[in-house]
Amino acid sequence: MELYLAALGFGLISVSVIAVAAVGFTMQFGITNMINLAYGEVMIVCAYVAYFFNQKGVSVWAALLAAALAGAVLSFLLNRLLYSPFQRKGTNLIGMVIISLAASLMLANVLLAIVGYGSAAYEVDQGFLLRWNGLVLTAAQIAVIGVAVVLMLAIHALLRYTRLGKAMRATAANPTLARNCGIPTQRVIDLVWLITGALCGVAGVVAGMNSENFTVASGASYLITIIAAAVLGGAGQPYGAMIGALVIGIVTELSAAAIAPEYKEVVAFAILVLVMVLRPQGLLAKRGALAAAG
Amino acid sequence: MNSYYAATLLVYAAVDIIACLALNLQFGLSGIVNFSFIVFQAIGAYTAAVLSMPPDTANGAYQVYVGGFQLPFPIPWLGGALAGGLLAVPVGLVVLRKLRTDYQAISLLVLSVIANSVITNARPLLNGAAGIAQVPGPFADQIDPLSQSYQLLYVGLTVPCVVLVWVVAARIANSPFGRSLRAMREHELAATALGKNPVQLKMTIFIVGGILAGLSGAILVGYIAVWAPSEWLYPETIILFAAVIVGGRANNMGAILGALLVPVGFFEVTRLIPPTIGGWVPPPNLIPASEWVSIGLLIIGFLWFRPEGVRPEARRIFDGAPVGEEP
Repeated sequence: MELYLAALGFGLISVSVIAVAAVGFTMQFGITNMINLAYGEVMIVCAYVAYFFNQKGVSVWAALLAAALAGAVLSFLLNRLLYSPFQRKGTNLIGMVIISLAASLMLANVLLAIVGYGSAAYEVDQGFLLRWNGLVLTAAQIAVIGVAVVLMLAIHALLRYTRLGKAMRATAANPTLARNCGIPTQRVIDLVWLITGALCGVAGVVAGMNSENFTVASGASYLITIIAAAVLGGAGQPYGAMIGALVIGIVTELSAAAIAPEYKEVVAFAILVLVMVLRPQGLLAKRGALAAAG
Repeated sequence: MNSYYAATLLVYAAVDIIACLALNLQFGLSGIVNFSFIVFQAIGAYTAAVLSMPPDTANGAYQVYVGGFQLPFPIPWLGGALAGGLLAVPVGLVVLRKLRTDYQAISLLVLSVIANSVITNARPLLNGAAGIAQVPGPFADQIDPLSQSYQLLYVGLTVPCVVLVWVVAARIANSPFGRSLRAMREHELAATALGKNPVQLKMTIFIVGGILAGLSGAILVGYIAVWAPSEWLYPETIILFAAVIVGGRANNMGAILGALLVPVGFFEVTRLIPPTIGGWVPPPNLIPASEWVSIGLLIIGFLWFRPEGVRPEARRIFDGAPVGEEP
């Protein structure tokens, strides 16, 4: 029982990390129709930006802001210089997926040439310990959960209560109609990439804090978990991604306690396969894996 | 260039040509973005390895694996091909039945990463991250594998396979079945309305591609004698995609050309890079990293400037059809 309570503690942190990452990923897909397979690599690049500052003696929490900025700029440029020109050219969905995978490969290898194969770990002041039976959380871990909760509430407020959020939802539903109604869809999409890029940057750092260390190769495994959470919730649905993160985070950590930690991603994959067989549109989707390509 | 090097190059070229023809049937002809292609090559290689090797207790048990049947050629090669085809059935049933094309692609990518991580972590199955070594090639018990005549023999066994695969690929592309596949790729709904069953078409070509991928893996493992998870990481699939895109999608000659230009070409170019450039020693990461970046640039460049590739798909015009620009 103690073991499972401890796993639940890890699960809560995993949920926070996955939620931040998956919401950014799924918003990119929902609003700009782009499955950005370079997302995991952008996370790693941002994690290394924060690592660079952290090594210089900057607190990891200040480095988090630098990573968010780096993520926003990198994602914005990725869309402006690569994805958006191809989308305007009329490249089909398959072509866009291949392009994003090529972008992912290039980002990973540029980073590899700079930082090498070694692993990196942040210097974090863990602070006090909070104990409740087997459940143990450090102050830093509680802060990670806090960051995730604040970001999720902020995304909720953005989409629900602001003009920009309304414009985003309109652009997601029908870009042509939104443009005809006077919504500057190009600017909305630019803002989406900046916001989701910042989420991606934050996610990279908190993911790096959550695991003992990270390497350039961690990007692929992050991506698997994010895809699982996003597809489970219904791709393109921010609230779905939050629910997906909750399920994937708790289940993978409990399975790590029950089976073996190496198979966490395999459990995430098993959930993904079940979703694809039983409910390919995801839990919340109005449109999803079954919708006509377009 | 000595004969060993020539043989190595020929075997690698043959394996890449078979793989590119197979991927071209799936991706070029049918529009299935099989991002887990390399997994099918890997299962072919592992199957051929355990079919041809002695039980793992034979050599002091320094490596562990299931099976070890010591079967003679051609059973390992056929077994590898069969394994590739068999793997395609469950994967295809999950992925190809209902999902949208971009979802198919990401599911297959996820499968590729997960399969690699499972084999790496589950050591008793296929020796984990270290992989399997000392895989005997065909007739290795009768002819010394290090001799020149063995190299010649291996090339002699490989070339007929390439010819066979090429004939199969050409026959499929020019058959009514191939026309149905192209129709499905261009407009699935219209093809369905004309009575074509897209799931059946996709499953068939997915299995055929799996068989050919398995065969390519079996041929490769018999020659290089080792097979490990690091041989089949998911970026290896991207190289094959680059080859098919550069050569020309849905054109078999294009796939062969792409196989010679991209995987074989990169292999050769890397060999020509001097270890020092004017006294400056490049860092060890730089050359492999720049290779991968070039592969990415190649894909993006071709999709932007020449999406149809070096050898575009032949446009088929039928008598009586209105001739005009494609929409």
